[in-house]
Amino acid sequence: MDESATRLLQRIVRRTPTEKLKATLEKWDRLTAAQRRSVDFTEPKWALIEKLVDACKENEFKMKHITELEMILVIENPNQGMWYTFQLVDPEDDAQSVDLLQFQEQFKSHLRELKRNVSVKIKKHTDQAVWIRIAWGDSFSRPNHLKPTYVVHQLQSPYIFVSSLTSKLKPLLLQALTFSTRHLAIKDANLSGRKLTAIRDLLMKEYQQVFPTKYPSPLAENNQTLSNLNIEREHAEASANRHRMAGEAFGDGTLPELQFAVYKMETKFKDPTNVAMTERDEPFRCVVKFSSTNLLESLRHCAASGLASTPVTPLLSSIPLKGRNYFVITDNAPGAASRAQQPQI
Amino acid sequence: MSLLKPFSKLPGLNTANILLVENQEQLQHMLADVLVKETPLTVTVRLAKSLPLPVDESRPRIDLVVFIINLTSELSFQSAEDSLKYLDPGYFLGKVCFMVTNARHASVPTERLDALRRLAASLHCPLLFAEDQTPEGVIGAAERLLTILKVSAGVVPMTTALYLSNLTRCTLPPDIDQPSFD
Repeated sequence: MDESATRLLQRIVRRTPTEKLKATLEKWDRLTAAQRRSVDFTEPKWALIEKLVDACKENEFKMKHITELEMILVIENPNQGMWYTFQLVDPEDDAQSVDLLQFQEQFKSHLRELKRNVSVKIKKHTDQAVWIRIAWGDSFSRPNHLKPTYVVHQLQSPYIFVSSLTSKLKPLLLQALTFSTRHLAIKDANLSGRKLTAIRDLLMKEYQQVFPTKYPSPLAENNQTLSNLNIEREHAEASANRHRMAGEAFGDGTLPELQFAVYKMETKFKDPTNVAMTERDEPFRCVVKFSSTNLLESLRHCAASGLASTPVTPLLSSIPLKGRNYFVITDNAPGAASRAQQPQI
Repeated sequence: MSLLKPFSKLPGLNTANILLVENQEQLQHMLADVLVKETPLTVTVRLAKSLPLPVDESRPRIDLVVFIINLTSELSFQSAEDSLKYLDPGYFLGKVCFMVTNARHASVPTERLDALRRLAASLHCPLLFAEDQTPEGVIGAAERLLTILKVSAGVVPMTTALYLSNLTRCTLPPDIDQPSFD
């Protein structure tokens, strides 16, 4: 076991909570039963690290074994770090028939062609997703395993989730992914967040949705029977309406946890009292950012409680509808009297 | 969508009607649950988000209008202010009161409370402070409302809403415009 593998192992152990480490080591299944029994998880971290390093040296583990451990940890805890989404477009005829083996071979060879000294590890997770761990090096240095990039892709789905990728390496990775999944192009899907599962659920529409209907469900009147006869809600109808419309825009039940939504405005400044600003030819640039621990839930509450006007403006409802949280807003038609703005790319 | 009038309908026998107006629709539900438990008198509670109320001929005479204002929210204050103009002037003879929550919250600008004091004083209305986080606070607030409600519904002998409001209405401290010393 060389220096860099030891350092990676040390870092993994240091960053993982002890309870989690125990389960992960069992899952890893590389240590012998005797070794596993000798590890005492009540010891302090530094003693634990020493013992594990010794055990790994004894077994003559290489870097690939340690990266395997790291992958198990990341797959088990997907809701860490920042995940960005890309969307594959223009599939070729055989895009539907790409299987894991073919993808694996193709991806590795494409990436090696583009960049030397790259270490790639691919693992298929039980939920059909392919997890790829890439450690980048350049022509003179060996792959840096301390800063790996993670890629998650479900074969035959158009979405790819990437975390910790530098802008320099982005085109290389995207090109390799596009070719190996037999597509012609790839684009930024403008969706990012801290929780991989939430982003995936939002894109795959795996949350409880409400479909617009002219007739409210027959169960609706059951809700009010419990309330006291002497309490009358004057705006009951309006509030039920607001709840329905909020539900139509954002869905019922629990929503995927998004952390923020960013709107970049490139619209003209419109204010009849401020002539100097209104007559400027350049657009008035500003960025509006909403952030919350659960953004969609907050927006739904805003709409349901009447803080935000209903029907929900397309600017807000297009977050779940289009599955993105980064919008650039431009003027709909230059000079047109209507103030309606449409989110565009 | 018209003015709410205090004397356009006859009062019911042994009943009192209270209208709770709150933009955030939280405390009003808790208050309503406590208010309807009052036994000798039948209390009917009507909840609204803001005024004007939808047209409803069967609505009984409303004896007391309470504006519940959460001081941490500017919207709550503005909505109450906008709603005031849909009340008949007759209501301001003792049949309106303001109830303030969260007044001690750290994020409340002091100007907002001062503005509310001015508003209540200019309308000759009482300004009540309530605590909405604990059940005891809600019960206490409901009891104070009930006391005013009984008077304004005319079930307390020897007194009237106008008479009570002379005693309970909000008055401005004379040094409200002075810069505070802290």
